[in-house]
Amino acid sequence: MAAHNVRRTPLERLEYAIIVSTLLFLVVLTVQPLLNLLAISFSDPGKVAGMSGLTVIPNGFSTEVWNLLVNNSAVQRGLFNSIFITLVSTALGVVLTALMAWALSRPGLPGRRIIFVFVLVTIVFEPGIIPDYFINKRLGLLDSYWSLILFKVVNAWYLIILVRFFEEVPKELIEASELDGANPFQIFWYVALPLAKSALATIALFYFVFHWNEFFRAMIYLNDQSKWPLQVVLRQFVVEGDKLAMVGVVDSNNYTGASQINIRALKAGMILLTIAPILAIYPLILKFFTKGTMSGALKG
Amino acid sequence: MAVSNEFVANATLSENGNVPRVRRQSFSKSVRQWWPYYLMMAPGLIFFVIFHYFPIWEAKIAFEQLRIIPPNIWVGVKHFQTLFSSPIFWQVLANTLIISTMKIVFFFPVPIIVALLLNEIRGGAFRKFIQSAIYLPHFLSWVVIAGVFIAVLSPSDGAVNDVLGFFGVQPVSFMTDNGSIRWVLVFSEIWRSAGWDSLLYLAAIIAIDQELYDAAEIDGANRWQKIRYVTIPGIVPTIATLFILNAGMFLNADLNQVINFSNDVVRSKIDIIDTYVYRIGLQTGEYSLATAAGLFKAVLGMLMIVAAHLLSKRLTGKGVW
Repeated sequence: MAAHNVRRTPLERLEYAIIVSTLLFLVVLTVQPLLNLLAISFSDPGKVAGMSGLTVIPNGFSTEVWNLLVNNSAVQRGLFNSIFITLVSTALGVVLTALMAWALSRPGLPGRRIIFVFVLVTIVFEPGIIPDYFINKRLGLLDSYWSLILFKVVNAWYLIILVRFFEEVPKELIEASELDGANPFQIFWYVALPLAKSALATIALFYFVFHWNEFFRAMIYLNDQSKWPLQVVLRQFVVEGDKLAMVGVVDSNNYTGASQINIRALKAGMILLTIAPILAIYPLILKFFTKGTMSGALKG
Repeated sequence: MAVSNEFVANATLSENGNVPRVRRQSFSKSVRQWWPYYLMMAPGLIFFVIFHYFPIWEAKIAFEQLRIIPPNIWVGVKHFQTLFSSPIFWQVLANTLIISTMKIVFFFPVPIIVALLLNEIRGGAFRKFIQSAIYLPHFLSWVVIAGVFIAVLSPSDGAVNDVLGFFGVQPVSFMTDNGSIRWVLVFSEIWRSAGWDSLLYLAAIIAIDQELYDAAEIDGANRWQKIRYVTIPGIVPTIATLFILNAGMFLNADLNQVINFSNDVVRSKIDIIDTYVYRIGLQTGEYSLATAAGLFKAVLGMLMIVAAHLLSKRLTGKGVW
């Protein structure tokens, strides 16, 4: 703002202080609950019981909760399932979306408009979960990872974003490659994809976050608990309050610690464990999501 | 492959003139020229047909009596009649509308205010720090957020009741209180998305011509006058667009959120169309009735989103897609 070189009156300084403290208050509201969970998960399990929800400092220090979590077979399976489903569907999603977007972005493609409408219809009209469930049943996908991997494997919104991006690729580049004798697949691979690196990274992150956070489809499609992703394990434990799902039926006998260790601390650790991969890629998310959203908003 | 060929044919029919000979020529020519692109699209198109168009066809069970041994019997609008004469359905519809209204009234303005505040912050690093913190919850699942809220709102050791206790208020079990559960939905929505949504408004603010601020400055405008007469008018189109789009999503009271905040005590207050469909369909097995409820929502929702799109296009030049 141009106000930089103007001398500030006390009133203006007060205003600024109020604005800054309001925003800092929002930061505290956002981050404190997570820090509280972190403090609880690292506290001495015996001292967790009386801890306030306001504290962000562990009461004593112990990694016992985390040891239990990472050695728990339900958690290990959940983690593996989540990682597997997320990585496979993200990879597949990026490839299929990029291929379709590139073709759809070519001017003059016969039927381009019709296919666009065909895709848009799927955004505005969703017949609901029951027909969806029946399709998966009919295809024999119930209780299979594929019911989750194929769920929105091509996301109509991300497709449109990528089409818009590919439309900006300069025509001259394509024509030059055609003169060099490149076929459409080579042009896609050697010209379009390298130009779209950051757009593809954005789409990949969209897919990653989407699939990592998906729990509803997993809940309704997967009866077999050993295939549950982490979100469903977390839900069963924290939201439904089902300790057995957490501990695992098989482990329940040799896992008597579960009743002694503070369940609150175990829940706190479990929530943070589920967030961990999102936190790990959060710098990338900030970079690409922010840019994607900003440019989208500017262009309209 | 069959799918994409069909589209080639369709496209040629619709996009070329009506002289048959020319059409046939250009058809074979365009197939020769464009087939690699249809091949690229084929997996995506097949996906859309199987997972988006087949379910639309499958939704016909809303008009059928399911039988263990096929075929099913066509019963017309019987299930819709059952639905509309069921008091639970009207309760569920009312809940959906009430929760959506509460979110529009109490959630919608928050990101605008956050964006206006953020825009006043000098110092890029400090602003980035605030943004990084308040955007985070948007990327967490509703399972995680429900877990966080269960902890924060716990009557025995949650942060909120600790603060209330400091002022001598008796602990409240917000998650199992019929009076507060809808507010829990509104506040958890704010916690999750108010920060991130402010980015859309911030982008609009940044796009405002700097000269307008300079001119206001020369006229002696103070901070509030600049916000009032430059910033807010500058983002009104964005506000209008997002308001209309939000209104278009009115029937989507967010299944993923509600299903994680629901429990036996408060269910009647926050049971929405989507959770109702899930409950009577997948849990009780009344597939036809559930599909009828789902179709009711899908058709009404489609009309609303298309209306919102057209209205927004007309008023602000920006649509949903």
